[in-house]
Amino acid sequence: MKRGSLAIKNLLRKPGRTAALVILTALLALSVFGGSVVVGSLRQGLNSLESRLGADIIVVPSSAQSKASFQNMLLQGTIGAFYMDGENLDRVREVEGVETAAPQVFLASLKADCCSVKIQVIGFDPETDFFVRPWIEQSHTRELGDLDVVVGCKVEAEVGEILRIYDERCKVVGRLAPTGTGLDTAVYCNLSTMKTLLAAAEEKGVSHKVSSDESDDQISAIYVKVKDGYDIDQVNSKIQGHTRKCSAVRTKSMLTDVSDSLSAISGTVATLIGAVWLLALVILVVAFVMIANERKREFAVLRLLGTSRSMLGGMVLKESALCSLAGGILGVLTASMLVFPFTTLIETSLGLPYLRPSAGTILGLALASLAATVLVGSLASSWASFRLSRVDPGTVLREGN
Amino acid sequence: MKQFSPGAAAALLLSCVIAVGSVSFLGPCVHVDGSFGSCHWAGQAMLGIGLLLVILSVAGLLVKDGRVRAGILFAAAAAAVLGIFVPGTLINLCGMATMRCRAVMRPAMMLLCALTALSCLLSGIAAYRKAGSKT
Repeated sequence: MKRGSLAIKNLLRKPGRTAALVILTALLALSVFGGSVVVGSLRQGLNSLESRLGADIIVVPSSAQSKASFQNMLLQGTIGAFYMDGENLDRVREVEGVETAAPQVFLASLKADCCSVKIQVIGFDPETDFFVRPWIEQSHTRELGDLDVVVGCKVEAEVGEILRIYDERCKVVGRLAPTGTGLDTAVYCNLSTMKTLLAAAEEKGVSHKVSSDESDDQISAIYVKVKDGYDIDQVNSKIQGHTRKCSAVRTKSMLTDVSDSLSAISGTVATLIGAVWLLALVILVVAFVMIANERKREFAVLRLLGTSRSMLGGMVLKESALCSLAGGILGVLTASMLVFPFTTLIETSLGLPYLRPSAGTILGLALASLAATVLVGSLASSWASFRLSRVDPGTVLREGN
Repeated sequence: MKQFSPGAAAALLLSCVIAVGSVSFLGPCVHVDGSFGSCHWAGQAMLGIGLLLVILSVAGLLVKDGRVRAGILFAAAAAAVLGIFVPGTLINLCGMATMRCRAVMRPAMMLLCALTALSCLLSGIAAYRKAGSKT
């Protein structure tokens, strides 16, 4: 009989024992695969935020409670509507070292069509914008017309659909690629559309601290790119001094905060995975040693029937490898069922940029988790395998009598 | 002879979670103004499907005849497959992916219904084969 089929028969003969080993190894695979996908998604989210921001400095009104409120808007999609004098844009452009300064206007809708969900509307100037435009151009190459909007990937509206914002019928002309940030929950339009929406909001009696007449002179944020060779901190200080009732925030400091949170979460996840692996490894070693003691007589008989030591050792290793492989597959499948469908829930719970890695990366992580689980399962059984292969049939069978 | 079916027992457990969860911890968004969005009715539909699954699973556990049991479990599997398509496909949900109905209710109900369908299907096939081998 082949050792492989004998190993499978041995496993099927003791379903309780096999199930316990499979569940234990599944726990290993679940923790390592689930944990690595979550940490990988957080890293991908941070990279996406870094590449998406593009600006060196962001100027927001002091009323935006400095960077905290704005940061929440970017990371978690918290609705934000704050305004400052439009003159600040010219003041920023006058500062030495400023290469480009692009304004944005924010508006919070009362509710969307379907339900009582508020939508963040972001108006940008297509002429100067370097923040939203490159992103929009990935999915919509034409200029945005009046009452044309482009929606983030988490706004459930298809291209061609009409989105009613303050009773204005806005046509969805594009859906943006996911960034894993709060920007995915916003709707984007040009400043002309924004002016119409602000006027519509005023008609509805909703004050946005800016009247429709003044909308050209009121902005919510200025994204600044600094010329090469200039010190960003110095330019930041100059902007702070030149503008009124504004806070100039270095994007790097905002990203550092996010990066620190990510490191803390990664550390916690790594510690948890380490603890689970250590615990499971100890339990596996003990389990295999106990199984080895229990199966001494069985192996003594096999030795008497002519099975070599290496064949016996190989059979035990094969059994543990099969158990680990089954457990690894079960663990990876369970982690997939827990992590992938609930991506949005995990993202909103963590409050950090969260972008799922590519399918290739996920497949690689799954295979690596499987390989690690099989390796650890086989290693855990190696001592038991060595002991069983060294069984002296005569002594063991006499002890039994 | 009546035999215990682990698949039907698992389906009963999952069905209870669907029925209870769809109107509580896995339920849709609660509107502060007291109005009901379409996601509320999706939750109500899932409650109905969950209760139907509970009844079918209990019947699948209690019925002695293998072929009848298989039929009941296949019907439960079909109802569970229907449940997969209720939130978001047959009944609209809220317009933002971050809303509770889309972030929690939809994936949870789809997952629970898929697992229920799988366990009902497998135990139904087992019951049918067992009944066939006896005749």
